[in-house]
Amino acid sequence: MEELLGYIQFVLAPQVVTGLVIGIAVILMALGLTIIFGLLDVINMAHGSFYALGAFLLIALLGAGLNFWICLILVPLIVIPAGLVTERLLIQQVFHSRDRHTLTLLLTFGLSLIIEDLFKIIFGPDPHRPPTPIAGGTELFGMFLPNYRIFLIVFGSALIAALSYFLFRSDFGARIRAAAHDRDMAASLGVQVKSVYSWTFALGLAVAATSGVLLSPIYGVYPAMGHGFIFLAFAVVIIGGLGSIKGAVIAGLLCTQVFALASLVVSPVWADVLVFVVMVLVLLFRPQGLFGSLGHG
Amino acid sequence: MAESAMPGRRATERYGLSSLGKIALGGLAVALLFAVWAVAFDQSFYLRLATECLILGGLAMSVDLLLGYCGLLSLGHAMFFGVGAYLSGLILIHYTQSFWLACLLMLPAWTLLGLVGGLLALRSSGVYFALITFALAQVAAKAIFATNEIGIASAAGQVDLGGSDGFQGVPIIAIDFLFFQVDLRDPLGFFLFVLGAVVLTYLGLSWLLRTPFGRTLSAMRANERRLPHLGYAPRRFKLVAFTLSGVIASFYGALYPLLRGGAFPELLTFWVSGDAVISVIIGGTGTLVGPIVGTILLGFLRSLVGSELGEYHIIIVGVIFILAVIFFPRGLVGYLRSYLDARKQRKEDPSHGA
Repeated sequence: MEELLGYIQFVLAPQVVTGLVIGIAVILMALGLTIIFGLLDVINMAHGSFYALGAFLLIALLGAGLNFWICLILVPLIVIPAGLVTERLLIQQVFHSRDRHTLTLLLTFGLSLIIEDLFKIIFGPDPHRPPTPIAGGTELFGMFLPNYRIFLIVFGSALIAALSYFLFRSDFGARIRAAAHDRDMAASLGVQVKSVYSWTFALGLAVAATSGVLLSPIYGVYPAMGHGFIFLAFAVVIIGGLGSIKGAVIAGLLCTQVFALASLVVSPVWADVLVFVVMVLVLLFRPQGLFGSLGHG
Repeated sequence: MAESAMPGRRATERYGLSSLGKIALGGLAVALLFAVWAVAFDQSFYLRLATECLILGGLAMSVDLLLGYCGLLSLGHAMFFGVGAYLSGLILIHYTQSFWLACLLMLPAWTLLGLVGGLLALRSSGVYFALITFALAQVAAKAIFATNEIGIASAAGQVDLGGSDGFQGVPIIAIDFLFFQVDLRDPLGFFLFVLGAVVLTYLGLSWLLRTPFGRTLSAMRANERRLPHLGYAPRRFKLVAFTLSGVIASFYGALYPLLRGGAFPELLTFWVSGDAVISVIIGGTGTLVGPIVGTILLGFLRSLVGSELGEYHIIIVGVIFILAVIFFPRGLVGYLRSYLDARKQRKEDPSHGA
């Protein structure tokens, strides 16, 4: 019995917390993906690159002598204009084409190639690791937890809550949902659909960049850093339902816990396979994912 | 029914060679001229490079079969390619050195893989399909990458997959034909062999696409909702096409270890799938020749421009790709075809105009 308690306290619980940290990051990524898809019907293959962009901007700004907390505010502010431009220059070009699903997917894929190569050229292929902004740790229920991870869980949850508040309670959020529900009707009621599109796209990217900033002290910064997460984020979005906020949060927690616990019990390799199995099972019974789309609650 | 789905475009086919056939023939002539040049000036490096391009071109062709004729974007064909490479490498090392026997042994595995992949991915369509194929390949790549850790190797009977390093040491074989033998040590022989395979794949696929089966695929791409009302089951047709595409991709994957002497987990990564899709788009979707042209262009860029510009070449590839998607969605061969079609029409019926 004591052995079991010890196992829970020293092995299982820390793993659950690690899973929670990854979960917060994956949910943030998935939220961006799912909002962008729910509104614009765009599968953003470059999402992982913007996650990395956030991290590299952090490295650059820290190098310029700025403080981590200022960077945390500055990075999304830099990424938003980049997102606006990307939406205008790439997405809008093919937005009215019949194959826009495929075309936008291809365009963002091309964009990710360019961005990642730029990182490699500017920062080199080797990983950077910014210093942890909050040092030390706290003992909680007999577990030692690094303070930064606690901050990450709290801050990330607050960010997720703020995002859903923004989407479901604010005026601009209502416009986004209206445009997702019925573009033409929203336009005829005076919603500037085009600018809503651009801003939503930029917002999704800014969230991705913010999670890049938040996670870089833990996982390091390197050009391909988005790849590992993007698979999980896509799986989460598919399981939760493309365009569903609730789905992204629930599926995000589910997947990362499956991932974390499977890594413990079997091997990290099978963890990926297991997440994939969960995804296939969900799709077998609900091809549209667990929850509805953005325009429908 | 199928006729009405593709108005006019293929009507010229009955009278001699289609524009696409002409382009393919031209491409074949260029390939043969290239071979003559390479042999005359002893350029075996370029021959081997061209052979690799053709192998990857076969993969791109299988992607085009789905994207161009069924409207299905697969982001995971590297899985078939990579698994094909691993299988053939292992069989050639451990079991037989006869190419044909190896193919015979692998064919059921290729088909099964295509069928299972299709059953999983075709539960959904559109972007979901693309994402599931992406995930499939990702999972397969990770599993192979970590074979050393999880002990698949020992389970399969002391066969070492080499984990993240892959494995080397595939014997270079000679392929028996009825009256002669092609020694793959000889770069020219290998090049001509792969060229022959690509030509046969092209002929086979363009024949298939002219049969009622192929017409149904095109009709499905044009209007999938109408098809069931006419008594067709789109999913069954898609599944057959997907399986066939998987088999083709696996076959070309199986040629890879013969060229490079081994198989590596990188063959299953997203870059391979992505390159195939890029080649299809740049070359021309739904043309079958286009993917080959696209792969060769990409290979050229990679090795020639790549050696000059170092890492910048991925940026160049990315920019070209984005520009192609936005401004030239029909691809090189697509535009060449419409040009030839228009010229032919003018010639046949001058009053009709372009």
